[in-house]
Amino acid sequence: MSSTSSGERTQFPGLRRLKERRYLRLPTPPPPTPTASGDAGAPIRSSSLWRDAWYRYLRNRAAVIAGIAFLALLAYCVIWPIVSPYDPNQVDFSQANDSPSLAHPLGTDQFGRDLFTRTALGGRVSIGIGFAATLVILAIGVTYGAIAGFLGGFVDNALMRFLDALYGLPYLPFAIIILAIFGGGSFWTMVIALSIASWFTTARIVRGQIITLKENDYVRAAHAVGARWLRILARHLLPNTLGVLVIAVFLELPGVILGEAFLSFIGLGISPPDASWGSMAQDGYRAYRVAPHIIIVPSIAIAWLILCANFIADGLRDALDPRTRET
Amino acid sequence: MTRLIVRRVLWTIPVILLVILMTFLLMRQIEGNPFRTSERAIPASIQANLEAKFGLDDPWWKQYVRYVKGVATFDLGPSLVLRNRDVNDIVREHFPPSLELGALAMLFALVFGIPLGLLAALRANKWPDYTAMFVANVGFAVPSFLIATLLIYFFAVRWGDIFDIPTSGWTTWQSKILPTIALGLGPMAYFARLTRGSVLETLQQDYIRTARAKGLRRRRVVVVHTLRNSLIPVVTAAGPILGFLITGSFVIEQIFAIPGIGRYYVTAVTGRDYSVVMGLTVLLAMIVIVANMVVDILYGILDPRTREAR
Repeated sequence: MSSTSSGERTQFPGLRRLKERRYLRLPTPPPPTPTASGDAGAPIRSSSLWRDAWYRYLRNRAAVIAGIAFLALLAYCVIWPIVSPYDPNQVDFSQANDSPSLAHPLGTDQFGRDLFTRTALGGRVSIGIGFAATLVILAIGVTYGAIAGFLGGFVDNALMRFLDALYGLPYLPFAIIILAIFGGGSFWTMVIALSIASWFTTARIVRGQIITLKENDYVRAAHAVGARWLRILARHLLPNTLGVLVIAVFLELPGVILGEAFLSFIGLGISPPDASWGSMAQDGYRAYRVAPHIIIVPSIAIAWLILCANFIADGLRDALDPRTRET
Repeated sequence: MTRLIVRRVLWTIPVILLVILMTFLLMRQIEGNPFRTSERAIPASIQANLEAKFGLDDPWWKQYVRYVKGVATFDLGPSLVLRNRDVNDIVREHFPPSLELGALAMLFALVFGIPLGLLAALRANKWPDYTAMFVANVGFAVPSFLIATLLIYFFAVRWGDIFDIPTSGWTTWQSKILPTIALGLGPMAYFARLTRGSVLETLQQDYIRTARAKGLRRRRVVVVHTLRNSLIPVVTAAGPILGFLITGSFVIEQIFAIPGIGRYYVTAVTGRDYSVVMGLTVLLAMIVIVANMVVDILYGILDPRTREAR
């Protein structure tokens, strides 16, 4: 089955192919997966898609490790600021720029603040922005893609041409302009700035899914028995795009986290005394000659998160591959 | 094929118009005033005169049409903040370093990324593969500002006596080494991962089995049959990589004090220099649009299947 059967009507394939491959792994045929439907004699055990996917995910060692590392990072960011013995904003110049030690496992910054605590706090902001922006991206992408795919015809064509036009634009210049419109970086302005030029891929994928699903017999049956369109959309089409959306969360997250870090690093993002990993890196950059660990710590936190997200996305895609599901 | 190319080239025109319109409308939403800073307020009559001079009192669609006409004749208008300089001057001055940095980083990424990915694929699931993919994954995840800072720290601060590499400016060839590596490492990792996946896919094709079965030397199978066919998706990656380079250059130019566009852009936004921000945004967007066009056309040439689908 080639990708064109899903009603691919785009004019120009190059870049989009590549981005969509990351979601759907288009060209490789799915590996044959042993599912419950295999053995004929055994009683048919009801095995849901998600349960199958869960078992398939657990078989992928890299993905499992990445998942655990990801949860560990989340837990650290949520819990540590509460139980930490240090006030993350307590300035103490007597121990500024300290290298990692027993008292401060990751050292202190140039104001003598404990980096292990501040990194957790910055993580709350960075990861919070990351997830919020990803959700906005999904919300816009799903709405846009569902409308285009479901209505089809002229509307679909117009919407997709519009997407074609915007596809691949560099998001950072536009993010900077949007930050300027709102007069600077705060949590929500960052969310808007980072999501507004990043939802195109999600929209395309959702549209493709909806168009494929629309041809399924159960959708036609629902149509034939007189189900209203809203019911078909909400009950038969959107739930079946959920797999792709779960993957999309972890594919979009790294870009958003990195975008936040870059914006904060060049001084347009989260501003002191609040911390994000990007603004902490900016602090660290100012002191790299005397205390290089200050920039290394938040950067490694960013790298940790991005690595985890990449492996989780790969694992999820293998587990939830839409075409494995059909067989 | 000619029809495809003509259509693809013509398609960029409405795209560019749309992008200019979007940038234009966004820019108008920014609060503030290029003529008046908080310290010195200027009389209302002078303000009005200045606005009239730059045509800011016209209705927005008139300004838009005028701007599009300007872009079509390669005139991006005057700077609103720096009198007696226009945007073309600024582009002429700040664009070459950025372009050179981007090109060098891209070259670095290609020269090291593709062999790394090929090596990993040919030794799949053995230690060269694991090493190469470890490098690629880490290179992709570590933010470029850390790489840049560490490069400066080690080559200029720690081992400064041995290496003597300048860490700021964009003049001698020595000063270009560290920025190139810092900006190119991420794209290199991306190319490596892409090449690996693509080569693995190609190796499973029937024509590779045929080539091997008829006794071709391994070297020929790898270079002629595998690598050439595997590089098609890599060509496509030029689009995302270009976005990556533009994003990265904002940070790298700041760190290495390179007088490029990325660094100037931030200054222009905070200074409310509308016409400069407009001009630079439109320029960056146009580069990406044209690059995507070239990639699509190349894709059509390299992979005849996408042509027939039309």
